[in-house]
Amino acid sequence: MKRFAFLVGVVLAVGVSLAGTALAAEGPIKVGIVLPLTGEQAQFGEIERNSFQMAVEEINKAGGVNGRTIELLIEDDTGKPDVGRSAVEKLISRDQVPVLTGGYSSSVAYAICAVAQQRQVPFVVTTGSADKITEQGWDYVFRLCQPVSEYPKALNSFLGEVVKPKTVAILYENTLFGQSGAKDFAKECEEAGMKVLLKEGYEHGAIDFKPLLIKVKAAKPDFLYMISYVMDAALLMRQSKELDLSPKLFVGGGAGFTLPEFAKNAGEAAENVFTAALWSELVPYPGAKAYYEKYVEKFKTPTEYHGAEAYASMYVVADALKRAKELTPKGIREALVTTDMMTAFGPVKFIAYGKKKQQNSLPTYLMQWQKGVLETVWPKNVATKPYVYPTPAWTK
Amino acid sequence: MKQYSGAILLLAVMLVFPLAVQDAYYQHLMILVLLWVAIGSGWNLISGYAGQVLFGAAAFFGVGAYTAALLSHKLGISAWWGLPLGAVITFALALPFGWVCFRLRGPYFALATLALNEIFRHIATIWESLTEGMVGILVMQTFVSKVPYYYIALGIAVASVLTVEIVVRSRWGYYFVSIREDQDAAESLGIDTLRYKSVALCLSSCMIGLAGALYTNYMGFIDPRVVFSLHDVSIAAILVGIIGGVGTVSGPAVGAFIMVAVMEIFRSGGFGFLGKLSSATGSPFVATLTKYISEAHVLSFGLLVIFVILYLPNGVVGDWPILKKKLLFWRRQATV
Repeated sequence: MKRFAFLVGVVLAVGVSLAGTALAAEGPIKVGIVLPLTGEQAQFGEIERNSFQMAVEEINKAGGVNGRTIELLIEDDTGKPDVGRSAVEKLISRDQVPVLTGGYSSSVAYAICAVAQQRQVPFVVTTGSADKITEQGWDYVFRLCQPVSEYPKALNSFLGEVVKPKTVAILYENTLFGQSGAKDFAKECEEAGMKVLLKEGYEHGAIDFKPLLIKVKAAKPDFLYMISYVMDAALLMRQSKELDLSPKLFVGGGAGFTLPEFAKNAGEAAENVFTAALWSELVPYPGAKAYYEKYVEKFKTPTEYHGAEAYASMYVVADALKRAKELTPKGIREALVTTDMMTAFGPVKFIAYGKKKQQNSLPTYLMQWQKGVLETVWPKNVATKPYVYPTPAWTK
Repeated sequence: MKQYSGAILLLAVMLVFPLAVQDAYYQHLMILVLLWVAIGSGWNLISGYAGQVLFGAAAFFGVGAYTAALLSHKLGISAWWGLPLGAVITFALALPFGWVCFRLRGPYFALATLALNEIFRHIATIWESLTEGMVGILVMQTFVSKVPYYYIALGIAVASVLTVEIVVRSRWGYYFVSIREDQDAAESLGIDTLRYKSVALCLSSCMIGLAGALYTNYMGFIDPRVVFSLHDVSIAAILVGIIGGVGTVSGPAVGAFIMVAVMEIFRSGGFGFLGKLSSATGSPFVATLTKYISEAHVLSFGLLVIFVILYLPNGVVGDWPILKKKLLFWRRQATV
């Protein structure tokens, strides 16, 4: 009898453990994310990681994807394309994720796209904004954010209707983001009949911008357009003030100029600076403000458009997972193609226009730093404050 | 023959590796290792044997990489032609550079190579009409499978190591070492030092250029920051040499393996092991620890270099007898 009981026990144990493994196979759905968690871009990578995690917690709490939870596998790309590639290879071949998202810097996102396309795993690009990414005809690559050439859309209409400038000077950092953005902006200015007096790049991480700014001052442009990350942006403005460089307006091309750190580091010199922006917590999308407040409450630091992009990406991926007929890369890709939803970052629909394919099309905004707060000033119908123009001179 | 038995065994293992390990991730890591073997061997020949410290390996790496990329981008020719042509072009670059800059000695030469590195990075960044600047160049990969890349990388790595082995055993090798030990004495013995330093530099640059061209073909994307990187290519090449062993034939191979392994283990948090541990235990302490460890991957390599310079000044291969003795000592203590 004892022996029999033992046997039953063993059978039961084996049965339970087998059932356990069967359950494990039905476990969480893995989603692969590649972000720069170390290196120069770590600051943005961290905001995005927090936002991804926040979104996935909400989704899982609300019942997950048809009863299954989502598990995030976040890999560090250190801001380098070859490392990003290692990371995505690992995610695809070892962790066998059926869908990828993330991708901060354009060059890393680009390298990841090539792998994703080749291995046929759908990749929702969160932030990498170089135009070329969606111009390759890749059918496994989707992009949520606006391409860099569209960043100044709102700025252009503001310039055309309010400022009507004749001349412009452009400064940009020598990165994929800066160089391609500056090139497109110069072309648009020329098409609009403006004269580009000066277009110069500088080394990312430079400290002394005075030689450049003196050149700008000598050229006397109507406005100065700058594409920079956060430290450069703050230094550019501080040194402009020191040199008493006063064009009619200063405009930042997004990125560094939209961050809270910019206002902190530039101090008074940040006042009245315009910046093109893709998002702020005041945009008229449901959930935008709630996302911002929840983030601030949870992480005790402000968030910005990168975080909103990540937060929205997670919802887009979860939505596709819910609708996918089968949870294979192919099935999820087909679901992504028919995405049509509202997120905190705006409406998402992957469409083809111009040379681009599977690209989400969103409006952009013009914002202005007023008393340390980034206010939306254009387009008028969503403005939170009237714009301050012409910009008062420094000496006043 | 006996002295080569280890090398032949290793080669056999390397040959069957992609057949035994089907995981594309490990294959990718091994391709990186092989790439670094070629770069490290190139660096070692000019710096380890001929004693002319090369601080600008990325100049040759990047020129090789851009040769391949531009062939396909501008001329529509397969980027694979960049392998032979990249070697030729880096050779054509190294020859006049050496002719001018070998008038400088020691640190001054090293600084000149550093300048070469930076000059090329700026050219590639600013000359947008040719190189697309920081937008970079995309080359579609030829193969989906990693195996062809693996064998090509293996071929280049083996050819590099063999070249170093043959050269250092030849008359040239003795010239190189004599230049390293005392250039004036070498000159007084009738060695044309300028000529032999140039020979060493040209051979080195070809190996590094080949690796660069392969990088383009394999990675499919290059930009100036990536391939002309002072930190990620030039200095990494030196570190591979130092860790493996300066002036040893197999040093760069060992150094390359250690570098890629250390970087990847830290980056992925012990191949995801630490992540699993932290989620399994659920303790915030382990989670924080994991975060810091995976963020320390750059630091880890720096510490390794300091350790090697302090305790194994001739590198892992050069000081292998010392290392072996130490390891044996530990083992003996453990058994006692």
